[in-house]
Amino acid sequence: MQLDIRNVLPLYFEENKNQNSDVWGKKLVFNKGEFIKIIAPSGSGKTSFIHFIYGIRKDFSGDIFFTGKNISNYTPEEFAACRKDNMSIIFQDMRLFSKQTVWENLEIKRQLNPYHPTEKITEMAKRLGIEDKLHSKCETCSYGEQQRVSIIRSLMQPFDFLLMDEPFSHLDDANSQKAMELIIEESRSREAAIIFANLKRVDYFSFTRLLHL
Amino acid sequence: MSVSFKIIKPLLQTGTGKFSRWFSFIGMGTGVLLLLCSIQMFINIQQLLKGKSARKNGYDYIALTKKVTNETMGQPEKNLFAQSDIADLKSKPFIDDMAPLVATDFKLELSGGTILPFKTDLFLESIRPDFLDTLPPDFEWHEGKMEIPIIVSSDFLEVFNVFAPAYGYSQISRETASGIPIVITCYGEGGATQNFSGKIIAFTDRINSTLAPLSFIEWANQKFGGQKATHYSRLYIKTKDANDPALLKYLDQKGYEVNKEKTRFGRAKQVLNGIFGGLGLFGLMVVILAFLLFSFYLRLVIAKSKENLQTLLAIGYSPKWLGQRITMQMLPVYLIIFVVALLITQVLQYCFYHFAMYDHHELTPLISINIVGIALILFLLSFIANYRLVKKMLYRL
Repeated sequence: MQLDIRNVLPLYFEENKNQNSDVWGKKLVFNKGEFIKIIAPSGSGKTSFIHFIYGIRKDFSGDIFFTGKNISNYTPEEFAACRKDNMSIIFQDMRLFSKQTVWENLEIKRQLNPYHPTEKITEMAKRLGIEDKLHSKCETCSYGEQQRVSIIRSLMQPFDFLLMDEPFSHLDDANSQKAMELIIEESRSREAAIIFANLKRVDYFSFTRLLHL
Repeated sequence: MSVSFKIIKPLLQTGTGKFSRWFSFIGMGTGVLLLLCSIQMFINIQQLLKGKSARKNGYDYIALTKKVTNETMGQPEKNLFAQSDIADLKSKPFIDDMAPLVATDFKLELSGGTILPFKTDLFLESIRPDFLDTLPPDFEWHEGKMEIPIIVSSDFLEVFNVFAPAYGYSQISRETASGIPIVITCYGEGGATQNFSGKIIAFTDRINSTLAPLSFIEWANQKFGGQKATHYSRLYIKTKDANDPALLKYLDQKGYEVNKEKTRFGRAKQVLNGIFGGLGLFGLMVVILAFLLFSFYLRLVIAKSKENLQTLLAIGYSPKWLGQRITMQMLPVYLIIFVVALLITQVLQYCFYHFAMYDHHELTPLISINIVGIALILFLLSFIANYRLVKKMLYRL
């Protein structure tokens, strides 16, 4: 199972933008088990790149193939199946249901394709220090807490690729490290790849490939 | 996917106005009720009028004549049916068959012999045997036979029995009438005459005439009248429904005189069908409007829950599954609307049957099975249309 990225460039980018990039306009193949770190300054298109791969934005030229099929030909149902079984994401803007509790947010994701039993929600929440927030509405949680909920949510399903878009932007180093350990542990158990897009390099992520956007 | 919608449901209820929801429910219910009631009344009218005409073997037989007006008086060709009129009648889909009444084309006299001392000018007519309601096996004639079998309208005997006492004649029964020897005298051109004996062998309720076998009329017209009839003063048509609006419209257009008794209900039926057809159309319009209102309500729910739905889709929920579940939320409401509309239609049908029609035997107190079928089809159509609408909107998110 692999992600095949060919000459992808956002439509709103100028042609010369791809000259200094390892990603834009290049041919890349990401395989299961790889830990890929993408470092990019603000405005270089990190979120766009992650969203292109995840299929929620289509304003790019070039092609992205997932398991041999061009994702521009995916139907909404095929995208849904892929996001349920093969690809998980940690959004930079978290995208939680603010009026629902932390538990409900996690259960909504977990029930879709249960990889873990419900007990695992409590266990992970405890590991990331938000177990006392499980029954609080998300809108009452801090950004840091919401970010941890978003991380746990992404780990509730089976996946071959985990896409992370600045997942620790609201977390301190200690909490980021704890979260990273959990993510790596969960990804290894699935033999999954991680595509981690961030502003800067972090020491606690031992990548197998480093790319500059 | 054995996924619970219970935890998802709160994500969709983001403050949609109760007023618009109830307004669309009530509108839908009213429209469905109007539509069902109109169709039921339409069925009632059909059932009530079906039994009003003298039907034989499922057909109505109606006599047609051309209207004689001051302008057409003295012009037999305008008052008779020509071959072109007959061909036109035959081509109409609402006329299953037709036959002309062939009349004698010469002077004819009938006398009662010695038993009944009366003498009268008469005419004989004939029609294809399959148009007769009673056809005795001896209703036949061939050249050389001096006895002519005759079928007389029951009305003629009735009329005779009305005036007979005043003239000192005795009233007679059908059986006696059948036994009376009748003398028929035919007068040809140039003073030629020939006597035949006539015998009443049957009475008819359908045709107001004195009928002889077609073979006799054709022979006698040639012999005494000197020509073969090509124009006819009366025609009989055979139709499945004497009250068919298309038939009545055609007869009106042509200006043909018909037996008013047989088509009287047809005129009322035309008016009633028009009224209930209009009501049904109005009901259908209300249903469509209410359905549009319903779809606006669904659009509103989706628009107001757009962000949550987008997130659900982004984390892997199938738009098809979500569409099904959102539409299923409407199922109980739809069911209630249709069941209540059906129940009210049933109550109204019972009231119509019992209080307005006094338990008329041609009606039933229960609504027609077709009404249940129509309600079911309408229910399924609205449900499928809503599902497709929601799914389409989710695909666009």
